[in-house]
Order: sequence, then C-alpha cells, then structure tokens
Amino acid sequence: MISFPKHLYTDVRIEEIVDTRIRFKRKKLREQKTRRNKGAFIRVFDGERWYYGAVTDLGKLQSHVDELAAMATPVEGIEEHPVVKALEANERKEIRFEKDSVTKIPLEKKRGLLEEVLAFADDEAIVNTDAFYVDNRTMKKFFSSKGADLTFDKETTGIGITLDIAHGENKDRMSTSKAKSRFKDLKDAKGYFAEEIEKDVDFVKRAMPVEGGEHPVLFSPLATGVFTHESFGHKSEADFMIGDETMKREWSIGKEIGPEILSIVDDGGVEGSGLTPFDEEGTAAKKTHLIKEGRLAGRLHSALTSASLQEEPTGNARAVDFTFEPIVRMTTTYIEKGETPLQEIIQSMDKGYLVDTIKHGSGMSTFTIAPARAYRIENGEIKEPVKISVVTGSVFETLAHVEKLSSEFELLSFVGGGCGKMEQFPLPVGFGGPYTLVSKLKVQ
Amino acid sequence: MKKETVLIQDTETAVKVQNSRIAAVRKKDIAKKAVRVYDKDLIGIGGAMGDIGWNTLEKSAVEDLESGIPYPHGIEGGLRDHRDYRRKSFTDEGLQMAMEKILGTLNEKFPALRFSEGLKQKETLHRMENTDGLDLEYRDAHTELFLLVKEKEGANLFDNMIVYYGRDFDVDGFLDHADRFLTAHLEKASLPEGEKVPVFFLMNDSLLGFLNRALNGEAYATGSSLLSGKLDAKIFNERITIEQNRDPEIAFTPFFDTEGVVKPCDKVELVKDGKLMNVFTDKQTASEYDLAHTGAASGGHDDVPSLSGAPLRFVPDAKNIANSLNGEPAILVSVTSGGEFTADGNYGAPVQCAYLFDGKRLLGRLPEFSIKSSLFDMLGKDYIGTFETDILPYTDKPLLQGFRMEIIR
Repeated sequence: MISFPKHLYTDVRIEEIVDTRIRFKRKKLREQKTRRNKGAFIRVFDGERWYYGAVTDLGKLQSHVDELAAMATPVEGIEEHPVVKALEANERKEIRFEKDSVTKIPLEKKRGLLEEVLAFADDEAIVNTDAFYVDNRTMKKFFSSKGADLTFDKETTGIGITLDIAHGENKDRMSTSKAKSRFKDLKDAKGYFAEEIEKDVDFVKRAMPVEGGEHPVLFSPLATGVFTHESFGHKSEADFMIGDETMKREWSIGKEIGPEILSIVDDGGVEGSGLTPFDEEGTAAKKTHLIKEGRLAGRLHSALTSASLQEEPTGNARAVDFTFEPIVRMTTTYIEKGETPLQEIIQSMDKGYLVDTIKHGSGMSTFTIAPARAYRIENGEIKEPVKISVVTGSVFETLAHVEKLSSEFELLSFVGGGCGKMEQFPLPVGFGGPYTLVSKLKVQ
Repeated sequence: MKKETVLIQDTETAVKVQNSRIAAVRKKDIAKKAVRVYDKDLIGIGGAMGDIGWNTLEKSAVEDLESGIPYPHGIEGGLRDHRDYRRKSFTDEGLQMAMEKILGTLNEKFPALRFSEGLKQKETLHRMENTDGLDLEYRDAHTELFLLVKEKEGANLFDNMIVYYGRDFDVDGFLDHADRFLTAHLEKASLPEGEKVPVFFLMNDSLLGFLNRALNGEAYATGSSLLSGKLDAKIFNERITIEQNRDPEIAFTPFFDTEGVVKPCDKVELVKDGKLMNVFTDKQTASEYDLAHTGAASGGHDDVPSLSGAPLRFVPDAKNIANSLNGEPAILVSVTSGGEFTADGNYGAPVQCAYLFDGKRLLGRLPEFSIKSSLFDMLGKDYIGTFETDILPYTDKPLLQGFRMEIIR
C-alpha cells in the first residue's frame, strides 16, 4: 500500500510481464525462453512540473515516491489543478485474458506452431530464414492519489519471419508478421504465412526497376494503415499543439482536410496490438473520430493536453513500458471502409502502382512509405512487381487526394516492430482500413 | 558445467522540455541481470530485470538447458579488462541548471522558435564474468541533448532538430553552435543549380543500415547480400575504409560483444581502401561458414548471443571540406526521415531540412527536396569524402560525409 504525499498528485503504475520468445535461424532452434519481469513507473505532479521515476526494485516503492515528492513543491488544492481534474479516477478490475491466457499454452505447442509456419519456407530461392514466436502477458496495476485503483491485463501473441531470397542477381530480404490477442486465433492464421511467403518469393524473382515520378497509388489495407498513421495520425496527437496557436488554427475542429468519403478513427478498445483498455494515466479507452466525412473531428489526448486544449481526455497517454512516462500516442488507427469493390478500383486505373506490403514509414512535413512488395497497374490490371525505394507526399495535401476507398476492409496487428516517437520505440499499435486510392504521390 | 554472469546497470536523469520550458524531471534506475550456463554443447540462460538473486537466475538457467539450445562454441576466458570512460558528469541540479540556461538563451535569441524534448545524463555499467576467468567491465557516462525545433508560425510538427551525444558537453560551446545553426535556419536559401550536387550528411542512417545488411556474414555466406562473392575484390572508392568499431571512445558501446569477445584495438577492418576484407561475424556464423570471426555477436542481456548488426564506422579520409568543394555550392542535410535503399542498392529519400553550405558555414535553409542515388555511386564515383569536422559538433568527434547526388526539386 502506497502512502501518497500530501498536496501533490501522485500515481504509480506497476507492470508484471511474462513473455515467451522462441527463435529459429536457418530452421534450427536458437532460442526458447520465458521471462518474468516487474517494474514500476511513478509520477508526482506539483502543478508546475512532473517528477518521474522508473524502478525495478519494487520493495522500495515508497522510498522512491518519497524521493520524487521531495523534489516537488507541495501545493494546497492541487486536486483543483486543471490537469489533475482531467485525470479519471477509475476503480476497476478488468481481467479479460486469464481464461485462455498464453501463459497456459505449453512451450511445445508454441514451438510447434512456429515450425509449421517455417515449413512453408521451402522454395529453393529462400537461402536463409529467421523466424520467431513471441507472446506477452502484462498485468497492470494503477493507483493514484485521486483514488484510481485499476487492475487489468493485456496479451499479444505473434509470429514473425524474415526470408533472405536470392534468385540469380535478384536478391532481397522480406519480412512478414502477424499478431493476435489469443493463441487460437494465431493458429488459425497459418494460411496467411503460406500466402505471404509465396508472394514474397515471386516478388523477388520477378521485380523490375520502377519508373519514378508522380503517379496514382493504391494502398492495401496494411499500407493504408501505415499511410493513415504517418500522413495524419501523428498530426492528431495533441501534445504537438500545447501553447501553439498556429497549430490550433491550422488543425481547428471542423476544418475540411479530405473528401467526404474519408473518416479516420482511433480506438483503444480494439483487440490486437493497439489494445489499451486504460491508458497509462488510468483513463478508459475511447473511440475517437479524428476525421469524419472529410472534416477534422477530434484529436488524441492525455490529461495534460485535454486540459490545455479544453477537450475531453481520449485514453491515449501511452508508454512503451514501465521505464517511460506516458505521452500522447495512437492505439488502433484506421480509415473507415468505403463502398467501391477493390476490383472496380483497379479497373478504373489507367496507370499507377499498388503498394501491397511495406518495410517502414515515417511522417514529418513529408511522409514516406518504403514499400516491400509493390506492383505496376496498367489499363485496369495488376502487372509485374516493381522495386520502389520510397513513396512520398505532403502531409498537408495528400489526404485531399484520397479518391476511392474499397468495401474490403481489414485491421491488422504485428510483432517485431511498432511506432516510434522521440525516445519511445517500439510501441505496439494496430492499424488498417480499406484499399485506398490516392490520385498522386511521388514514387522513387 | 561452465557459468557466465551478465550485469547491466543503467541510471539516468532526464530534464524534459515542452513548449520551450522544463515540464518534467525523470530518474531511472534499471538493473538487468542474466546467468548463462554451458553444458554438453548446450546453453541455458536465466535473466531478469531488477534485484533478483544470482542463485535464482542460475537455477532458471540450468532448467533452461532442457530447451536444448545448441552452443557448440567455447566461451571466452583468461582475460581481465576493466575500463572506465566516465569523464564529466552533471548532477541532477546541474543538469536542470544547464537546461534552464540553454532554454533561457535560445528563447531570448530566437523568439520565433519553440523547443521541446530535453537533456539527459546517463551512466552505464556492463559487466561480464565467467568460470573460465573472463572478467570484463565497462563503465561510461554521457550527456545527451535532443531539442526539436519548431517555427511558431509554421504548421509542421517540427522543423529541425539540434542534437549532442558525448562526454564533454559544454553549455557555452553548445550555445555558440546553436546560434549559428538556428540563425542559418531562419535564413532562406535556394537550392544549388544542377541536377547532381554535393550533399553532406552527419552520417546517413539509411546508408549505415544498408551496409549493416550487406556486410553481415550470414547474408554474405548465404548469397543474399549485395556483396556476396566479393571478398578480396574492390567494391568501393579506394579512399573508403569501413571498420567494425567497438572503441567506446567513439562508439559509446561496450568494448566486448555479447559473447565476451574483445578484438585488438577494439576494431576490425571490413573494407580497406575500397577492398572488401571481411564481413562481420559471431562465433556461430564464423564457424558455420568458415569466415573470419570478428566478434560481432549482439542481443539483449538474457538473449542467446546472435548476429544481427555491428557498430560500423567510416574512417575519416579527408580534412578540408571547402577545399574538396573548390567553390562549388553544396547541401548539408540536417533532417532526412524515411529514406530507403532498394535491394539492388538504389536510394531515394525526402529531405525535410537542409542548409546551403560552402564547406565552412551554413548559409541558409533550403526548401524541401528529394535525393536519389545508388550505393555503388555514393561509395564509388560520387564519393567526396568522410571528414572530421567541428562545423556541427553533434558529438565529441563528429564526422561529415559527402556524396554527389541527384536532386529532385
């Protein structure tokens, strides 16, 4: 039991993590382990500054709290501070994964699943494989001087596989991964890996150099997810707007920034990599429309940013782990599905490119997507695979060029990577959407 | 049964800045421990974060042997090497005062700009010991400044960044540098004429990343590296020498790899005078493919050591940037985010922030543009050089690297 210092706001987040990692290199077992770690992050607020502590010796939590409190200046009435008022004080125990927890699945079953997936990598052009199975169960406890008392859990299980493919002079490294919240769902996704491996091998064998320039680009649900995340998602994180009148003007609610077919959502309640039942400040998950029918409809908040911008908290204060403070981050972010069948969209394209999978993306004034698999489209048909280094566009203009959204829709989760913001990487996020046609982007 | 212990202890104080003022102070004290046991060509590992007893970890490691993870290599031994690279270190109060002074000066001199992120003082201890007499210890401390710069009237999330990472952080020296850097940032300049112009980088992350893949021993041996089959062949410009460099003075990493291997002078030449001499390897890769062992094992404190990347460094080959330009205007890239190489070595990247540059001074900020080249052009006919420089003191021994590149306006 923590004794909270007087006239200061204090919260404590304790994380107990059990994770498994199994790794095969060149189809030989190289690692198989289950780890248990514990740690805590403490925050003390005096109305002027925050004082943070990340510790692993939980037996001394009280002394760490006291040490941070000694750095702060107690203020009577701290509970009336707008930031403290914006913090939710939920009291709940919400355990959703215990019944079929990954911790109850024997290691042999996890290893067996990975071996089954690896068996799909049997093409002679695959010269090296690096495959891993990971799962993670995190129990979080959150207490605050405002009365919050939360216990909840989160689980992820996933497989990632990297293939070195060499076919004559054509060589490339291709990676694919998939994550689920439950082991049985991951087992059901075996076929996904078979298809991806086959497509990767075909891509490397046949890919041609690309004809650069400005072209229409059709994004798959995966690429749509990264495009959404990088081209707009980071702009919706309200910590960039604190005290910034220009940003507030530029991103005022109601402003038209895309076509009417475009709606973008962030939802911490979606199961998968981005699941955040309560954020790291104890705020419950919310579904937030960032863009609704082409107009700016909301943004992502922590308590600090919601108080500063006088908007409701959204449950987006997240940290990569117990060694970091929460900052405003996305959870599961996606474009809502459209009404045009994919086939119809492809048939409507005279020339352009399909970006099917990606290596990475980033978003500043210019966002970039580095495609892994991409294909040329001509006269309404998907043609040969092409090697594209990057697809780029302006974050200020590109959403206005969204032309068509498919009725096909998919949300995706991954392992082995995540979102990076300043020093905090990788944060698991979910993303996806429909197939998205953007009328012009720079292709290199 | 042989036994090895790994201890990593990281402490940190960070002063966090938001909206040009100090918003938070963060302290970290994180311990990571692992015990490895070796028996009958197998390895077992028990690891944890926090203050877990060595006996508990040893018990986990012995149990882990049942997983059957092969490790048919001998362990290092018979070497005691303790090194302490700590020099200047800020106290918690000193760090806050330094940040206050930096923000006070920058806010006064550059009222049109807004600053965020902050200043850190980190201290680290890495220790590896085993029953064969290996006793390695690396202690270090460094200061890390990372300030995002945003124009108050602009709609970008941020427009530029100023960084420092090293052991000799001097507040006044940094402020002089920031003054030059930010004055030039507020000055508009035009892109130099011509399709191909000299472009300088503070070491290009995409290039080092791509080389890390191409020089990886496993990728080389399996035929999937762009350089496969080219050992002993000339692959790059003859002025280029690339090392696997673990010298903590430069690399800010332990001088030993995760298998406890220490190389003479902490480095191995991979490319010498443009010729491919070695690819980097751990024990497994070296033995499996009959390659020279370079001591490049990596991984977390409780991972089985394996080969992923290595700390690569270009050896400086030139001193005077202005002489190499001979009056030709150049570009110095400050921020390029999202660039990538295709598998066959073609490179494309957007440049979000760059300066017009005469080899000595930053002459003004350029509009956004994209760059295009290929690995073999950049490190071949279009290579200008790798320079030691004090133009941008982002670390204690900074390097700038120049290539002629195609500009897409």
